[in-house]
Amino acid sequence: MTAHIIRRILSVAFTFIVVSIIIFLMMHSVPGGPFDANDMPVSEAVRAKMMAQWGLDQPLHVQYFNYMWGVLHLDFGVPFQSPGETVVELISRAWVPSLILGGSGVLIGAPLGILLGMAAALNRNTWIDYLASTLATLGLTIPVFVTSMLLILIFAVWLNWLPASGWPQPNRWILPIACYAAIPLATYARYTRSAVLDTLNRPFVTVLRAKGLSERRIVFQHVMRNSAIPLVTVFLPMFIGTATGSIFVEAMFRVPGLGAYFVSSIEVRDYTLQMALMLLITFMYCLAYLLSDIAYALLNPRIRVGGAE
Amino acid sequence: MPLVEIEGLRVSFRQYGGKVDAVRHVSFRVSEGESVGIVGESGSGKSVSCSALLRLLPATAEVEATTLRLDGVDVLKANKEDLARLRGRSAAMIFQDPMTAFDPVFTIGHQIAETIRAHRKVGKREALAEAEQLLLRVEIKNAADVLGYYPHQLSGGMLQRAMIAMALSCRPKLLIADEPTTALDVTIQAQILQLIKRVQAEFGMALIMITHDLGVIAETVDRVVVMYGGEIMEEGAVTDVFEAPKNDYTKTLLASLHSRFEPSKGAPDTVAPALELRGVAKSYHTRRRSGFRVVQGEFQAVQTVDVVLPRNRIVALVGESGSGKTTTGLMAMRLTEPSRGQILVDGTDISQLDPAALIPFRRRMQIVFQNSYSALDPMMTLAQIIAEPLHIHGLGTPREQTEKALNWLERVGLPRNFGNRYAHELSGGQRQRVAIARALILEPTVLVADEPTSALDVTVKAQIINLLKQLQAELGLSILFISHDLSTVKSLTDSVVVMYRGRVVEEAPTERLFAEPQHPYTRALLDAIPATNPREKRLRTFLSADEIKARTPRYTVIQTGSAPNAAPQLVTIAPGHRVEAIVTP
Repeated sequence: MTAHIIRRILSVAFTFIVVSIIIFLMMHSVPGGPFDANDMPVSEAVRAKMMAQWGLDQPLHVQYFNYMWGVLHLDFGVPFQSPGETVVELISRAWVPSLILGGSGVLIGAPLGILLGMAAALNRNTWIDYLASTLATLGLTIPVFVTSMLLILIFAVWLNWLPASGWPQPNRWILPIACYAAIPLATYARYTRSAVLDTLNRPFVTVLRAKGLSERRIVFQHVMRNSAIPLVTVFLPMFIGTATGSIFVEAMFRVPGLGAYFVSSIEVRDYTLQMALMLLITFMYCLAYLLSDIAYALLNPRIRVGGAE
Repeated sequence: MPLVEIEGLRVSFRQYGGKVDAVRHVSFRVSEGESVGIVGESGSGKSVSCSALLRLLPATAEVEATTLRLDGVDVLKANKEDLARLRGRSAAMIFQDPMTAFDPVFTIGHQIAETIRAHRKVGKREALAEAEQLLLRVEIKNAADVLGYYPHQLSGGMLQRAMIAMALSCRPKLLIADEPTTALDVTIQAQILQLIKRVQAEFGMALIMITHDLGVIAETVDRVVVMYGGEIMEEGAVTDVFEAPKNDYTKTLLASLHSRFEPSKGAPDTVAPALELRGVAKSYHTRRRSGFRVVQGEFQAVQTVDVVLPRNRIVALVGESGSGKTTTGLMAMRLTEPSRGQILVDGTDISQLDPAALIPFRRRMQIVFQNSYSALDPMMTLAQIIAEPLHIHGLGTPREQTEKALNWLERVGLPRNFGNRYAHELSGGQRQRVAIARALILEPTVLVADEPTSALDVTVKAQIINLLKQLQAELGLSILFISHDLSTVKSLTDSVVVMYRGRVVEEAPTERLFAEPQHPYTRALLDAIPATNPREKRLRTFLSADEIKARTPRYTVIQTGSAPNAAPQLVTIAPGHRVEAIVTP
């Protein structure tokens, strides 16, 4: 098992390095540069001096190693959009709202989705099942900007229960969190329903009934444990996807989160922030898949214990 | 008062468009300690009746009965507590496929202890200690280790033993065994049946044995209920039913046990045999991880096998799962590439031919697989499926191809208008007929039949065997018949090749092999065949792999004409009879 985990870590680290090289090369292959004539009208000599000063005249691999050396020391440079702070400062400031809202959305949505999916599977072809399936389909098909507008319209405009938008008072968090929760809830409801139904149809469930176990024990111990195996692999990647902020939701609710920077850093050619965000996302996904793999192995004895005698 | 009392049982399933009766007018009783068999084909309602007794049917089932009592409890009125007591404690059940009957994420020990603790107030440690004792009683030697094993770490036979231990854990008064050996090899089947009989006597339980196999009935029970189409056809003492069946269906069923053997007609070899395997072997590279090291290994699936399939003859390739018989069959077709050796079709070596050069030979050799459902494309009509080989080899116009396909439907005993149907609309036997038609439409000289009847019911199996026999004579086919079912082999094939652990250990004309088996493995295999007469049931002794090895036969140079060798080798001891033996000076 330890060997399995260490092998996974090495393979994920390798993936991260490969992706970082690809990102670095892509950034360079895109036309344009930081000291292009139309952005910065300076003489050729000054430009060459600036390029040399920033190390941009060196061969690509040297530039890559220089950059990654900085990354290792958490030095991503200064964002062009906000030169008063470092990239790390900007991200750690802007990420907090995204993490709180998106993270809570998944942490609330996923368990609710699991409950909904279980209720649907255990009451197959009843109104509970149909309601759950309808909710799940709506959650997956309605775009978040429509959901957020609907939520604002109902709860802020008509009912006047909650503020429509803003930050940082906790009562302003509720609507965006509800909005973020929709997709994990819907996804988990669907996944759980099919996983539980799959498990319920397996022969060992009949055996458990024939042994005289109570239905509750069969469902909560055996069926849940087996159904959880496919479910754990979805959780962390979904968490990362949501907890890094959505430009739509953050724009609708005027949250000063990370989401907007994904787009703006590309628009204004904010190379340092763009690189940092892409590496951050890559790193988070690598970590998420690593942890999912380990959780999967822990839950599944076929992997944890290995082959037959 | 009888332990089980079923009177006027009717089970129907709600479906789109109404209810379908699965079981009607079923009545029978089982007394304490009695052994009763229920025999019937799939869909006869034998399992449904017993599942109704423990209320294990899905929610779509409707159960009605004048009386349905188990251990004094009215099953239809039973509440949750009654049910929990009935299941496991009054009656315990063993199921068909032990590989899927255990929850894969918990250990064997956990699952047995859990059963004990569901019925009695005992601690976890105590329950585990009891589980270990139970495992010892079902002849699992390393019981303490097995407690900590997960289901995937054990073989099918071991799992079925553990299943029996679990069923025994609450000392039930009735043991229901639902096809407990169908998924197992013949030798393992014999061991499990004997074990079931032993624990039944030791624990003083009644037994209901549900099976499609009359041999299992003859071996294990005193009274038998014959079911067909959801109704009871006949009931009586097992000797009476076997010796003087009253019902027509029972007669057909019994007739399939005693089908007579007729040797294949037609001259054997003219110039060369239809198919010959010379020194064919298959090994696979294995990579196993141990810690950080990758251990490279080689797994010998088939070690240097020689098989000759003469023209107009049917040769059986028998052995248990993992013996290499299917791999050998696939190599003969070059569907699996052999690691070594030659494959001769009509005297031509095809083992080195490139794909284009192989095509004309593909016309001469065809294959039929075990699982007819997955062997037929669900998106194609039967006419398309049967005509496809003609299309592939560019024979005839599309109209002629279809016409020929429809003719072949008739030839395999299906109506022509089935041409527009799809595979899922057919029964297993009908699908296997389609697979045979597809294989034979090219009029090949060689047919490899890989367990073509093992998924079929007894009476259907007999029909397919007759069809193969008839087509063999009509077309002058040579058939390599791969099977683990020795009774089928006995009634169909001219000679038998026995494979064991990737080697041929014995080969002889069928009658001679059954009469004078020489190799200990062949003997074990033949000994494990269930009796066809309930008066012939007996206790068996089983050989371990080491004992089989130790009993390798010995012959002298004079007897065999082979050079002396301490290592076992295949020697000829009579015309057509070869056996793996040690030759002494």
